[in-house]
This record gives sequence, C-alpha cells and structure tokens, in this order.
Amino acid sequence: MSADVAIIGIGETPYSRARADRGEVVMSAEQYASWAVSLALEDAGLSKGDLDGQGLAVAGTEWPHSEIWSAEVVQNLGFRPKLLLRGDFGGNNAVELAVQAAAAIRSGLVDYVLLLGADSPMTPFGTQTARSWRYDIDYMRPFGLMGFVTLAGLMMSRHMSAYGTKAEHFGKIAVTQREHARLNPNAYVKAPLTMEDYLKSRMLSDPLRLLDSVMFVNGGLAVIMTSRERASRAPKRPIYLLGYGLAHNYAEGDPAMPDITTTGVKVAARDALGMAGKSPGSLDFLQLYDDFTGAVLMQIEDIGFCAKGEGGRFLERTDISYKGDLPVNTGGGLLSNGQPGMAAGFVHLVEAVRQLRGEATGRQVSDARIGLVSGLGGLAYGNNLANAGALVLGVM
Amino acid sequence: MSERQPEKPLPEVTPLNKPFWDAAARHEFVVQRCRRCGRFIWYPRGSCPYCGSRDLEWTRPRETGTVYASTIARVVVGNSPAWEKEMPYAVAIVDMDDGFRIYGRVLGIRPEDVRPGLRVRIDFEDLASGVAVPVFRPLGRAPDP
Repeated sequence: MSADVAIIGIGETPYSRARADRGEVVMSAEQYASWAVSLALEDAGLSKGDLDGQGLAVAGTEWPHSEIWSAEVVQNLGFRPKLLLRGDFGGNNAVELAVQAAAAIRSGLVDYVLLLGADSPMTPFGTQTARSWRYDIDYMRPFGLMGFVTLAGLMMSRHMSAYGTKAEHFGKIAVTQREHARLNPNAYVKAPLTMEDYLKSRMLSDPLRLLDSVMFVNGGLAVIMTSRERASRAPKRPIYLLGYGLAHNYAEGDPAMPDITTTGVKVAARDALGMAGKSPGSLDFLQLYDDFTGAVLMQIEDIGFCAKGEGGRFLERTDISYKGDLPVNTGGGLLSNGQPGMAAGFVHLVEAVRQLRGEATGRQVSDARIGLVSGLGGLAYGNNLANAGALVLGVM
Repeated sequence: MSERQPEKPLPEVTPLNKPFWDAAARHEFVVQRCRRCGRFIWYPRGSCPYCGSRDLEWTRPRETGTVYASTIARVVVGNSPAWEKEMPYAVAIVDMDDGFRIYGRVLGIRPEDVRPGLRVRIDFEDLASGVAVPVFRPLGRAPDP
C-alpha cells in the first residue's frame, strides 16, 4: 500500500481522577473535547476554520450522553464538518475511526479528518448511565458475573491452566508499564511498583488482581489525519499509516466454543502488517490495548512474536521496556496512564506518534521508525473482546 | 432513602427471551435450536448465528457440560451489591454437551476446586419470586446441605 494518509497533529490533555480534595481538575467531557481539539489544531498548525467542510470522527463516552452524540459535539465545538463519524467500538475506537478516516481521505470525500476521544467517567452527574449490552443485563448480571472483571479473570485463568502461565508473567507487564509511566509526564499513576507489590495487590477475580486492571481517568485526546500531499506541508513530521486491519466477532476455532486466549488482533495485525509489507520483527515498538495485563500477553502471541501459550516464557526472556528488545506500551499504557473512558485507545495512538516523531522525551525508543498500535473493545459473550484492530504507522 | 437490602439484578423479559425465563421459573432449562442446521443456540437470538436461519425452536438440551475456564468472584463491580454476601464464589465458562457455551456460578464445591475439565450439570436458583437463573453443580457429588 502507498502511504497516502498521515497523522499531522495530536492533542492529549492531562488526566485527572477529579479528586477536588487533592487539588485535581474537575471537568466534564465537553471541556475535555474542547481542550483536546485546541491542542491538536495547534500541533498541526491549523485553525478551526480549516476544518470546515472536512471530517470529524467522534468516539462515544462512558459519561452519559445523548444517543445522537456526534451532532451535539459538533454544535458544542462550532464545527461544520461534511463527514461525521461516530465510534461505538469501545477500546477499538481510535484504531477503527482512523481506518474510517483514512478511507474517507483516500476516496477524496474530505482532505482532513479530526478524530476526537474525550470522556469524563470520573465526573458523572444526573441519574443516567450508559446502557450495557442486553446479554450483560439478561445473562450475565443476574447470573452473578461482574462484567469486565469476571471476563478478564476467565481469560487469564484459561491462559494459566492451558499453558502454565504464571502470575509473575502478568506482573512483568504491570511493572514494566509502571516504569514507563514514571518517565511519561502525562501519565496519571506515578507511584513505583515492584513485583512484590503486584503479587500482594488485591485479588478481584482470580487470577485478576487490582494491579492487572485499568482504572478510569478523565481526559481528552485528538488526532488530525490528512492526505500525503497535505501532510508534506505540515509543521511536524508526518506519521504515515502504512497498513491496517480490523476484525469483529472473531472466533478462534469452533464459533460456538472458541479459544478465549486468542484475540481478533491475530487477524487484524496480520492484515495490517501484510498491507505494510512488514513482518513482526521489523516493528520498533508495540502500543497494545491494555485494559488488563492478560490482553497484552495474548496479543504478543497473536501478533506472532511467539506461539500461542508461549507468551509467559517469551516475557521471561524479553525486555519489553523502552530500551529493550521489544518495547511495549512505552507511555505506561492504560494500566498506568489510566483509562480515559471510551477515549482509551487514543492513548496508544498518540504515544505511537510521539515515538515516531522522536518526541517521547525520557522514554524514547532509539531510532523508532515503525510501530504497531492495537485496539480491543466490547466484551463478548463466551469469547474475549468483540472489536479488534491494528495500525502499522511509520516515518518516511 | 430506602433501608431495604439490595436485591439481585433481574433480567429484562422481552418477546425474544420470554420462553427461556418462563421455563427457568419452573426450573426447566430450555434453549433455542436451529431447525435448519441443528445447532443449539445460547443466548437467545433472533436468528441462528451459525447459518442465519430464522427457523428456531425452543428445546430442552442435555443439562451436562464441562468447565472450560473458571474464576472466583471476590468484589462487586458493575453489578448489584446483593452479591457481596455470597462472595467468594466460582464463575465458570461451561461448554455444554450439546455444543454451546454458557456462563454461570458453580455451587456445591469449594470455588478453588473448580477447574477446567470438571463435569457439571445445570441447576436453578431463585433470584426473586417467579425469577430463577441457571447455576452449575458438580456431577457425581452430593449437593449442598
């Protein structure tokens, strides 16, 4: 594929748990949206008017919002887009919207698309909450399941029983990502974390511990994409979309009783790398969607760095720090950055752009030229995650 | 503010799932089966997720299956606090002998003894008057006292 679409602007607000008692910022999703858009426009050297008649891609929110949410967002911002895209893909929002934006730019429908993820799950108000899936309401909650926590516990438990994976393997992911967060000025969680701390952390749903899981933060992120031609005139180094892949409702094996330790990233990453003409070994870093540590381990296998089930032993012999053999989640990932609700996948995308621009001060992967960003969203019934995607990004 | 004890969450009964919940209230386990491809379907659907046929019937499958994966619920997240007093309890993915997969609590056995390969059978537990949900109990063991 010709690298005919590029990212020319990023914006990422600081994160907050909205703890006013600790002096933290308390803001709503609309405020984060405005903040993130301003940062991205400035980064791209564009003004609001440059986006008239262009594209706006809006992720949904955990924070209660209207069903026709994207129309509310454009009115709040005063934008006049021709193309309006709405993400309801959970942790795959950023990857999925980037693919849709690239298709729209490539088709000539628009020249620019601004992708926006802003959410304030820590600042709910009123009595509304986002509705869950009917299968969760009808066949999970009354059956005693605790949503994400139970399903993550089941995936990790299956990985351990089927392949002999150990708690310390998951722990290495949590500990390494915390080291990265401590080097990332924007990450929310900065307390040092040792393997001992990890192993002592509270068990939520065996073997899922508190420190295997994300916690919510408020925040906003935005990304501006354009054609290769326009990207060459951007003030910052353009980051090109070299390949992408998506998979939905992927099932490994029998579709009625699939292997829950294999994610749709297996197919999405294969397609993305194939389009880019690259192999896993050519990647300088991975930004992997990490709502829990087990998801990172499964994806390392799914992308092809080792066989299914070998992820634990692979981690024993592989340095996944920013200085290591295979840098993973170099900004701390969601595990230590915090999860800004439905904007979460943007965290990985923005970190990938920083690495490829050489702007990841303090945690820069040396000579980073190509990297992979993944997304995983939507808890599936009887499987793992329903939405999966991968982007291969690079510099020219 | 009410001082009532929290209650377990109840399902939303719809035209699609009413046959399941009506049977469950009688402690009978029914699922859909596709008349075209013959596969058993869980959870209730508007069409067969395997072949697309809308020609589905409600039927009583074999009530036995094998644990595929298990975990132990220790904290309430995104669910009613009513579950807290029963924790810790085992939650398993069970692959039923008729080729479909279902989640449920495994009762009548220590949670840490629930492992992949454990053979289980369906039982029911009443959540409220007229509402019951499937649970699992180990095969070949005495039920709870």
